[in-house]
Amino acid sequence: MEYKDYYDILGVERDAAEDDIKRAYRKLARKYHPDVSSETDAADKFREANEAYEVLKDPEKRAAYDRLGQGSGQGGHTRAGGGFEPPPDWNSNFEFHGGGYTGADAGDFSDFFESLFGRGGFRGAGARGPGAPAGGAMRGQDQTAYIALDLEDAFAGGQKTLSLRMPEVDDSGRVVNRERTVRVNIPKGVRAGQQLRLAGQGMPGMAGGEAGDLYLEIAFKTHPLYRLDDKNLILELPVAPWEAALGATVKTPTPAGPVDLKIPAGSNSGRRLRLKGRGMPGKTSGDLIAILRIVLPEKVDDEARALYEKLARHADFNPRARLGV
Amino acid sequence: MQDTRYTLTCELVEHGETITLAQLCRSAGVHVEWVTLLVEHGALEPVAPRERQWRFAVAHLPRVHIARRLAQDLDLNASGIALALELMDEIRQLRGRLSAHEAPDER
Repeated sequence: MEYKDYYDILGVERDAAEDDIKRAYRKLARKYHPDVSSETDAADKFREANEAYEVLKDPEKRAAYDRLGQGSGQGGHTRAGGGFEPPPDWNSNFEFHGGGYTGADAGDFSDFFESLFGRGGFRGAGARGPGAPAGGAMRGQDQTAYIALDLEDAFAGGQKTLSLRMPEVDDSGRVVNRERTVRVNIPKGVRAGQQLRLAGQGMPGMAGGEAGDLYLEIAFKTHPLYRLDDKNLILELPVAPWEAALGATVKTPTPAGPVDLKIPAGSNSGRRLRLKGRGMPGKTSGDLIAILRIVLPEKVDDEARALYEKLARHADFNPRARLGV
Repeated sequence: MQDTRYTLTCELVEHGETITLAQLCRSAGVHVEWVTLLVEHGALEPVAPRERQWRFAVAHLPRVHIARRLAQDLDLNASGIALALELMDEIRQLRGRLSAHEAPDER
């Protein structure tokens, strides 16, 4: 088990006043709140800050934690590899009262925290917040989350393996968060912003109440070829100057496999060609929109250069006429 | 951490599917009064605000859950929540527009 330096996590001195601790925690909570932060490890940082604050804001817990000292100090035993174990009687003079866990989700705290203070059990929402009081058999709350799918998952539909962090009731009746790998059937043609409902996969019910549902809101990962515009797929299609000038039939990728696309003669860069019904599937399927982009060959040999020069001499064309130059 | 493997069936939430105020409160574990406060501050909108029995779009459920977490974790009040949700919507729209305009090979 790893020793956690709660002062370091909150970025405060060991003799920090309660107000300083509260201020430091609030700043971190705003910065790393998973609903607000775009940092990749925001959820972990937020949990860590919550855990640190849970201990340091409570004079009893803080005093006990301080007594434990640094991992290598008098109290704890630092084992090879940085492992840490509290001495067996470390908390002999302290009594931790149940129910001392506030907004934070105690089921999420580290092994280190649990070995010192035990587990918090149910979320202690209530007094100050929006939480509704519990009473009698209660249906568990629903849960909402985002999942980022690959475009192909939605195009073809089918099973997808997802890693979800979901609440479960353990053997002793406490709610704990567990990492679960589940397979979910993704409906064909599902769009960004749509929701999937997984019945009974939300928070467990209380006193015999049924479990809540899990709602997954669909988002898409960026795709190397296609951009999504609702149900349409946008593809930037490179073409050679002579294909654009003379017209050509070229192979174009689509999620269902390559198709032939006819490029009309005299197509400029930026021209949009629509492949009807080749976008995301659905009651009315979307289109695939190919935006032409004229590209030049990287290497030009003598013969090609001669042809370009001939074209330059021959063509009476000022592409910048509209710019007035 | 336990790793359980099984297949879950899921259903697509229909466009326009709604729930009652009571269902919304149960879903997010919040008081009716608190939801009313969110509505008063414009953080949440019933499908037909003038109806006697409010109904809410299921698509708005995540908003209520986020609002509850913002209240619990950051001590935000209803107007703070409304402001945060508006800014989050705007950020999401801008990110969406950014990715729709960016060529894939520029990312």
